[in-house]
This record gives sequence, structure tokens and C-alpha cells, in this order.
Amino acid sequence: MSASGSSFLELKGVTKKFGDFTALDSVSLKIEEGEFFTLVGPSGSGKTTMIRLLVGMDAPTSGDLCLQGEVINDVPANKRPTCMVFQSLALFPHKSVGGNIEFPLKIAGVPADERRKRADQLLEQLRLPLNYYDRSPNQCSGGERQRIALARALAFDPQILFFDEPLSALDYRLRKTLEKELKDIHRETGKTFVYITHSLEEAMVMSDRIGILRDGRMIQVGTPDDIYNRPKDKFVAQFMGEVNTIDVRRKTKTTVECEKTGASFKVAKDLEGFSKGFLIIRPEVMKIGAATKGLPNTMQGVLFNDYALGSRVQYQVRTEADNQHWLVERLQDDPLESGVGDKVIIGWRPADSILVSA
Amino acid sequence: MFGRQNRRNFLQMTGVWAAAAAAGSVPNFAHAARDKELNIYCWEGYNSDDVLDPFRREFDATVRAEGLTSDPDAVNRLRAGETKVWDLINVNNPWAREMMYPEGLIRPISRERFEPMFADMMPQFHPPYNWAMDASGEHLLGMTQRFGPFNFVVNTDKISREMAEDQGFKLFLDPAMKGRYGVLTYDNWNIYHMCVAADVHPFKEHTAAEIEAFGGVARQVFNGAKILTDDLVQMNLALINGEIDAYFTGGTYTASPARYDGAKNVRGITPKSGPMDGKGGIVWIELTSVVNNPDPSPLADEFLAYVQRPDASKKVAFAEGTYNPVTQMGSDAVLSQFDAEELDAIQWDTLEEEMANSVDYDINPDYDKMYDLYSAAKRERES
Amino acid sequence: MAQGSTNSFLRWLRQPGVLAAIPASVFLLIGFAGPLVMVVAYSFMPSKTFTLMQAPTLENFTSVFTDSYYISFSWSFFLALVTVGLLLAITYPIAYGMAKLFGKWANLVTLLVALPLLISENIRLFGWVLFLLKNGIMDGSLQTLFGVSASGPLYTVPAIVLGLVYVYLPFMLFPLVIGLSMIPDTLKEAASDLGATRLQIFREVELPLSMPGIMIGCILTFILTLGSLAESKILGGQAVVMIADDIESAFTFAQNWPKGSVLSVLLIALSGLIVFLLFRRIDLDKIIGKR
Repeated sequence: MSASGSSFLELKGVTKKFGDFTALDSVSLKIEEGEFFTLVGPSGSGKTTMIRLLVGMDAPTSGDLCLQGEVINDVPANKRPTCMVFQSLALFPHKSVGGNIEFPLKIAGVPADERRKRADQLLEQLRLPLNYYDRSPNQCSGGERQRIALARALAFDPQILFFDEPLSALDYRLRKTLEKELKDIHRETGKTFVYITHSLEEAMVMSDRIGILRDGRMIQVGTPDDIYNRPKDKFVAQFMGEVNTIDVRRKTKTTVECEKTGASFKVAKDLEGFSKGFLIIRPEVMKIGAATKGLPNTMQGVLFNDYALGSRVQYQVRTEADNQHWLVERLQDDPLESGVGDKVIIGWRPADSILVSA
Repeated sequence: MFGRQNRRNFLQMTGVWAAAAAAGSVPNFAHAARDKELNIYCWEGYNSDDVLDPFRREFDATVRAEGLTSDPDAVNRLRAGETKVWDLINVNNPWAREMMYPEGLIRPISRERFEPMFADMMPQFHPPYNWAMDASGEHLLGMTQRFGPFNFVVNTDKISREMAEDQGFKLFLDPAMKGRYGVLTYDNWNIYHMCVAADVHPFKEHTAAEIEAFGGVARQVFNGAKILTDDLVQMNLALINGEIDAYFTGGTYTASPARYDGAKNVRGITPKSGPMDGKGGIVWIELTSVVNNPDPSPLADEFLAYVQRPDASKKVAFAEGTYNPVTQMGSDAVLSQFDAEELDAIQWDTLEEEMANSVDYDINPDYDKMYDLYSAAKRERES
Repeated sequence: MAQGSTNSFLRWLRQPGVLAAIPASVFLLIGFAGPLVMVVAYSFMPSKTFTLMQAPTLENFTSVFTDSYYISFSWSFFLALVTVGLLLAITYPIAYGMAKLFGKWANLVTLLVALPLLISENIRLFGWVLFLLKNGIMDGSLQTLFGVSASGPLYTVPAIVLGLVYVYLPFMLFPLVIGLSMIPDTLKEAASDLGATRLQIFREVELPLSMPGIMIGCILTFILTLGSLAESKILGGQAVVMIADDIESAFTFAQNWPKGSVLSVLLIALSGLIVFLLFRRIDLDKIIGKR
């Protein structure tokens, strides 16, 4: 926190319009120094508009962007102490790896030998061989190119580093490795990272805090744990992946009633203030068969299908009451005796219920 | 068919095919009858449809004509084997007698049929007309038609005709004329006129001193010129607009289109005196000859006779592009075809006088040497 | 061994690519290489001959070198350089606008630039003559409007340069437009984000990346200007004699094919050498990042 008490980077009611279309609708947000903050949203949610404003490639229609308490709305990109790793990486094809990394230093007028020293440090820090200095970026692999782009951004020594979905084009395994590397580099450098992605899963791995954007509005800001366990609405809950959802209304202090079938389910918490909404249960907390013994919340159904998910198996069960498909996941080494077409019982613990108001 | 050809023949053949393609036809080498076919290689004018269409209709003939732009070029093409392509060739006077007939490129025409036609021409061309005869004086080598004095052109509003005629080509060596004239770059004619300006007879063997004098004049003429162009329209335009007051190399051939358009101040000038047996002007006369084609067309003679007719003669004289007097104007039947405007365009009023002050165009024995000096002077021009 | 190499040659020949290339290669050989070989062969024939069946000689080369042809060569190269320089300065901003700024209006500009190409070059140049002529459109308008007479630049070297720039503008503009539009906008944004000013972006990113377009435009216009003739003849009144003019005269009025061939061979060799050196100095593949 800076001395003035204001946040490191703060958005105050930022709105951006393109003609009649509102891309960002009065977004307010505080990001603290040294934080790894991730903005998540589906395509069209305003992520890209947001990062263009943050970097300085666009100015907001209204509202203020403040860096360490100072309004930077109209400061152009090349005057901001921030820097971005582009989705396309935007490596200069006519410059060597070294030339790319040294670019911001050259612009700043740093002498050649100093630049070279810094470039070598960065190559080392990003686990790139030193002899890559003279190589063309086009001779490097996808992961290496990511690291070069990051090294170039770090060479700029920005106060905030922005990332515009830089990993989206990579394959799953490489992405997983780089996510962890990025997290390490964040810890090593202690810089403020602001990351944009459409994958909440990616956000969960790396971030200190996550902000969820939808249709130009910030829906929820919180730690990965908050987002996972206490989603603010159905959209956030579903954004995480496949979930079981039913429409419910309050019945008693600790039970809700299914709107469609009238069946009652116990929830753990006090339903003060809740009248109507969604009951959400994640597939991995659902129980099936013998494991449901003693659970207050159960349903009868027919095993409709099963899918192997590597270490886990996912079962699709059609409930008898309302013909809805429920998803249940359990570990591979705990096989189920029932086969497809058999009658099964599914259920969950009241503590695993997530309730969001409509 | 090419198997037995040697390389030289092959090259010549390709030339023929290229020429034939340019003329829009593939020549018929087989001995098929060419009764209805005629190929003419000529200076522009004879290839005009005004001239050719009545002939095509009358003789039900397929006539192809290609324009030429240089006498030596045309003769070289015949030498390269195109005698197989063409039936008639129309070039300036010296070539038939001195080159093409001795080399077997053309054949004589019937004296009996064609010589009487010369009697109807202007007096200078009455038979036996020297340029139309071979060296022995026995064979008739072709028919004359267009001709014209060719020396230089002035704007008479700026330079009077009398003064220009008196000064002759010396006019262009006058320091006061520097930057006030153009050179129409018909290179061969430029060379003859530079000879005249250097008091050297262009059509004789030259001494080293004469060639040197020529080189000096060539440099002076180029260095003083404001414009060099080979486009007579552009040159006339510059003269009419006052960019220049005169141009080196020109005559009725180049002045007539401007005069016919109403610019009466554009006038071809023939110097009153000069180094050629006292004369200072040169006149060209076209001669149309029958090519020594191994598969001749009977229409060649018919065409030669056809263009002698009064209406055809008029059309040749006033074909598109340039307008020129024709030798046939010696007969009233032809002369009466021209109105006053047309006669004025071709400077009919002074034609006889100009002819009297001119020698006939001929071959310059030192052309190659002079050409080297000429092109160097043009390149090294101080502008 | 010989057997083996014959076999491998046949195998090479049987590839679909090689087979498909044969008709085009034969056509090129006859239509392109053939005449070139003829010109080279003629340059070694004795002066003023019209056949290739003479004993070869170097007399034409020596005579060309002792004559003053260096003047025409110098003028042609000088005018080509000036033209290329002016074209770069004039067309780069236009090309930048067409590639990045004009949007749909770029098509209109393309049309306006390309349309005159449908009209014969000589006619367009003659239009300029009428414009620049004494008492012509420019001079007349100035006299009527301001009472001053400007005996125009017609028949001077600047008029030739004007003609060259005018005629060859599209040949510089279009390669530049293509070169510039191939630069992704994100590269410029990235450079700006990393602190580069407008000028630094131009120097460090745009200029090097538009090099392929610049090179192609320069080479194209340089070669075209070297071989140009009409501009010096029509607008310049042959204020200077271009080398192409000398070549034409040698083949026509001088009737000296060998000399014309020598001049052609020298022109081809000199311009080829320049292009070769340029390409060696500036590695296009490296610029566009192929390697």
C-alpha cells in the first residue's frame, strides 16, 4: 500500500463506449502492489477493452484510472511505467532474441554493454540458454517465445506487468508448465502482475485474487477460494466448469424445495435472507451408490453414461423425478458395481451445497 | 524443314517469320497461286485504307501493307530474306539504283507499260528519269510519286523566308540563334544537313578535314539546340507556341500538317545556295519498286499503275499524317484534284523554285564515320 | 558411378515438380534466355554486321569504352537514383496512409493511381508537354491570373525527372503499400508500450520491416528508369541522352547491331550488379524473419 492510503492501481467507475455499445460499464477495482491479479471473462466480456485502457492504448469514456493515486487516463502507452505481454507476443521478427529483450533498454538509451549484461541476466532468469541471444525468435519454440516476450517486458522494469492471454495458443501441458513458471517469476520479481484470460482454471492456478467480468461489468472479485466456494451467482459458478444446478426456493430455516419436483434438500447454513435461487453442487462432491448411505439429500436415478477422465470417472445419472441429468465424479480406483442402465442412488452432504440468489 | 538449314539461314528465317507475324500474316511459301495477294512495304501513306480499299475492291485482292521508318532498315530486311514476303517496296530514290537492283533484291518493270506514265509527270521527272533507271540505262526500276524539299523549317513571324533562304543552314550557327531552335532527330538527314552547314557536299567522298569540319558543326548545332525530338508534331507545336523559332531538318513533309491546320507561319525553307554544286537544298523522291519475290504476285504491276491514277495520286499525296507533293501533279487531271488550301499546305507556290535550288537525296559514302561523330556530339551536348 | 548418377538424374527428372516446370522452363529458355544470348553473342561480332557467323572480337567493347558513352550511362544512373529517391520520399507517406489510415478510401486511391496506367505512357507525357509548354496550360493560366509569364521547365532536366517520377510512381507505391500492410499493428503497439516514441517506432520497427517493400519498389523503379527513353525524349527534348536512347540509335539509324548489343550488355550487367549487391547487403529473408 502506498503512503497516501490509496491502492496501487485503482479503477473508479470506468466506462468505455464504442458508439452505442458499452464495452465497460462503470467498473471499479483496486489492485494492490505485488499482487497477481487475474481478470477472467468469456469472449466479449470486455477483457480486451479493459487491458487496452490499462496499458494506455485507449482512454476511458468516463471514470478514472489511478496509478499510485495519480490519474493516468490520458497518459499514452509509451509514457506509462507499465508493460504488456501481448496475446500474439508481438516479438520483432527482424531482431534477434537479444535484440528483442534489449529493445526497451535501447529505447531508454542504456549503453550497449549494460544492455547485454541485463539481457543475459534475463535469459538466465527465464531459463533460456545464453546462446539464444543471437537467434531469431522465429527459430524458437512456442514456450521459448513466451519466455522471450516476458523477458522483454521485464527488461522494461515496469511497475505493473499486464498479460493478454499469452498462453492461449499453447498446448495443455506446456500451458500448465508455464503457468507455474509465471507464478514463480511473480514471486521472484515481486512485481504486480495483471493477467487476462478466459480460463478460470488458469486463473485459479496463478492468482492471488480474481476478478470476473461479464458483459462489461465486474461481477465478483475475490480470492480463488472465494470464487470457487462462494460464487456470487449462477454465472460465476457455471463459469468454473460443469456443475449440477436446480432452481429452488426456501422451505424452512435449513431446507430448500425444488421448484420443479417439490423435493426437499437440507443445506448446512441458515437461510436468513434467501427466498429463491439456485442450488449448485459440484460433480466432485456428489456421492453415488453405497457412498450415499446416511446422506439426507438423495435422489433415485438411472446410470445413463460413464466417462473416463483419467484419474477420475464421471457418471451421468438421469433422475427419476424430473428426468434431469446429474453429474457425479469419483476416483478411478473406487469403481462402481452398477453398470449403464442400472438403477442408482446419488446424494450429497448439506455442507457441499452452494446457494446463490436469483 | 529446319533440319537442313544452317544457323545463318535459321536466323534469317526467324526474321521472316517475325516480319510476317508483324504484317499480320504467315507467308505462303508453297507455290500456291498468289493472284489475289499483295504485300507492300512502304513509308506511311501507301498503307492508308483510303489508298488501299478502292484497289482491294477493284481487284478483289487481299492487300497487306506495313509502314517503314528507315530506308536502310527496310533494305536490310530485304537483304535478310524478306524478299520472300514483300511484293512492293517504297523507299527513297538512291536505294533502287545503287543498292537493291545490283544486289538482286528488286526486279525491273516493263518499260513499255510504265515509261509513258513518266511523260505525264512534272518536267524534272520526264523519261528517262535517272533514279528510276539502272546504271546501264536499260531497265526501269520503279515509279516515282511523292517527293519534297527537305532542309529546315522556320516560323516566318520570327524569321522571314527571305532571310532564312539567304542564310541557309548558317542560320543555326549564328550565336543569336542559340537556344531558339530545335533539332528534329532524323539522324541520317541531320548528318546531311550538318554537312551542308559545314560547307561540305554530303554525297561525295570526304577528306579528313571535311569530316572534322562536319564534327565541329554537329557539336555546335546540338549545343545550341533547345529541344531534340524525333516527333514532328511535338516539334511543330514548339514552333507554333514560341518555344523555338526554327528547327533543323524539316521540309514540306513536316511543315505541311501544321500549315494544313492553319499555322501558315510554319514554313519549310530551301536555302538559295550552298556547297552542292552551288546548291544548298536537298530533295527526296520516293521510288516504288517490285521486289524480286521468288513467288511474285501479278498484282504488283497493277498496284503501280493504280496509284498513278489522278484520284489515287491525290489520296497518296494527302494520306494521313503528312502531306506531300506528287510527281503526277505535272498533269492537270491530277493538279485539279487539289484545292487552294491543300496547295498552300504543300507550299506549291514556291515548289518549283525550291526544286531548282536542291540536289537529289543520295547516299553518303562516309555515313558511318560521320554517324559516330554525330552521336558523340549528341551525347556530349552541353545543356 | 556414371550409371548411378544417370539414374539419380532420371529420378530427379521424374519428380512431379520438375515435370510440371518443364514447359515453363522451355518457354523461358526460348523467350527470355534466347534473345539475351543473342544480344550477348552479337556484342562480340565485328562492327556493323548482321550475322553471328563472324569471328568474335572485342572491338565493340573497346570502342564503347573509348567513346563518350560514359556520359549517357552517368545520366541514366544519376536520373535513376534521383527518381528512386524522390519516389521514396513521395510515396512512403501515401503508402502509409493507404496501408494504415485511409480504410475504405484506400481503394479509391489505388484506383486513381492505377487508372492512368490504362493510357499509353506517351500520351500521358504529351499531356504534360501541353501543360508545361510556353503559352501552354500552366504558362497561360499564370499569365491570365497573375500576369506573370513562366517559361516552364519543359525541355530541361527537372522536366525529365518530373516525367520519370510521374510515370513510375505506381511501381514504387504498390510494393510499399503491400510491404507496409504486412506489418502487424501489434508490433507498433508493443514498441510503444515498451516506451518507444513515434520516431523510434518508425526507425526501429516500421522502417526495417517495410524494407522488403522498399527494396522491391526501389529495384523496380531503378531498373525501369535506367531503361527509360520516352521521358527524356518527350519532356526533356533530349536535354540529356539516356543510354536507352543510344541503344535505340545504334540499332536503327546507325545500323550497328553489335554496338547496340554491347551497350545493352553493359547496361544489363551494371544494373544486375547493383541489384545483386543490394540483395547481398540487405537480407530480405532475415528481415521478414524467415530465418
